[in-house]
Amino acid sequence: MDTAFVFPGMGPSRFPEVGRFMVGNPIARRLLRRADEVLGYSVIDRFADADTDYDEAAQVAFLVNCLALAEWARQHLDEEPALCTGASFGQKTVAGFTGALSFEDTVLLTARLARVLDDYFAIQHTDIVTQSFVRVPEDKLEPVLAELTERGEWYEFACHLDAGFHMVNLRESAVDWFVTRLRSVGGLPLYAMRPPMHSSLFTGLHATVRDEILPGFTFADPAVPIVSDQTGELLTTADQVRTLVLDGFVRPVRWPDAVATLRDRLVGKVLVVGQDAMFGRVDCVVRNFEVVAVNPRLAMQPRRQPVPAGR
Amino acid sequence: MTDPQFEEILRGHLPFLPADEPLTPDTNLTDHGLDSLGIVDLLTALEGQYGVAFVDDALTRETFETVGSLWSVLNGLRPAAV
Repeated sequence: MDTAFVFPGMGPSRFPEVGRFMVGNPIARRLLRRADEVLGYSVIDRFADADTDYDEAAQVAFLVNCLALAEWARQHLDEEPALCTGASFGQKTVAGFTGALSFEDTVLLTARLARVLDDYFAIQHTDIVTQSFVRVPEDKLEPVLAELTERGEWYEFACHLDAGFHMVNLRESAVDWFVTRLRSVGGLPLYAMRPPMHSSLFTGLHATVRDEILPGFTFADPAVPIVSDQTGELLTTADQVRTLVLDGFVRPVRWPDAVATLRDRLVGKVLVVGQDAMFGRVDCVVRNFEVVAVNPRLAMQPRRQPVPAGR
Repeated sequence: MTDPQFEEILRGHLPFLPADEPLTPDTNLTDHGLDSLGIVDLLTALEGQYGVAFVDDALTRETFETVGSLWSVLNGLRPAAV
């Protein structure tokens, strides 16, 4: 059975939770120095002072930590992936990990996309949020969404995470009604996220990234095949990886499809590489694979030194 | 204040709670490691153990703030005779 590396989407990650890893882990320190050189500022200092969850430096820090943990897993867990996948933000991480983008370019792209996103959503779609919720099976969700439409509201799926676990884009003014209705059928609303993500409405953002950002970056064929989190397809060429990153703005994440491909390709173990509270913990993942959470906590645990041969 | 089954189930969902630390009504659940997916598992366990269904206001964030708030909501869902 093969091993796959799974790079999670980004959730809120405060400095105190990961600062010890960033300061104390030699791989993280080395990569952070390279990221600082690319961006011209101290990622760790700016991340420590960040006042929003998705600040540019917080995004770069999340990326660097994931890549550092992947290198750590190779060195200390002796794991090599046959396949990789990344969910949402993890599309960028997997591009960097597989060499489809150089480390420096992955850092620069992450920072530039963070700025473009800030600029875009400061004036566009200012009333849209992404609401996540769980415990709402299909037969209960359908009538709720039908009622939402009857009320004249727009919605679109942003992310399918697991059976009964989704993210939906909708107008902020409809959120109170929506979450109350979800609770009435036993659903647990989680977060209303801003900026929103993964919607066919964001064609302006897609065009800006396509025309103004990506032409400055050269993609290579990935060294390890990537499973698309949008379609579950296997991606092996530079152009496919570029399209994956670009289309992430307008296409929903279909995580069960990516997971199904890993299963069909006889993956038995997945390493969830990075801070994750979601993608590696959903039922469709834990039911199908041996799951190892490669997070800062694991990497900072004292490890037994290997005994030299002959002793 | 609570019952042994509740405490046993709850402790199993609080990865940062030391085994020798007592649960009090004010024990904060998030601080002791209960996150979103932890809440989902916890709900399933409590619903199975007590034969109740968490719906409506029982599913707000406030329910899962402390041991006391969760116990109070759970008791409100249980038949009065139990």
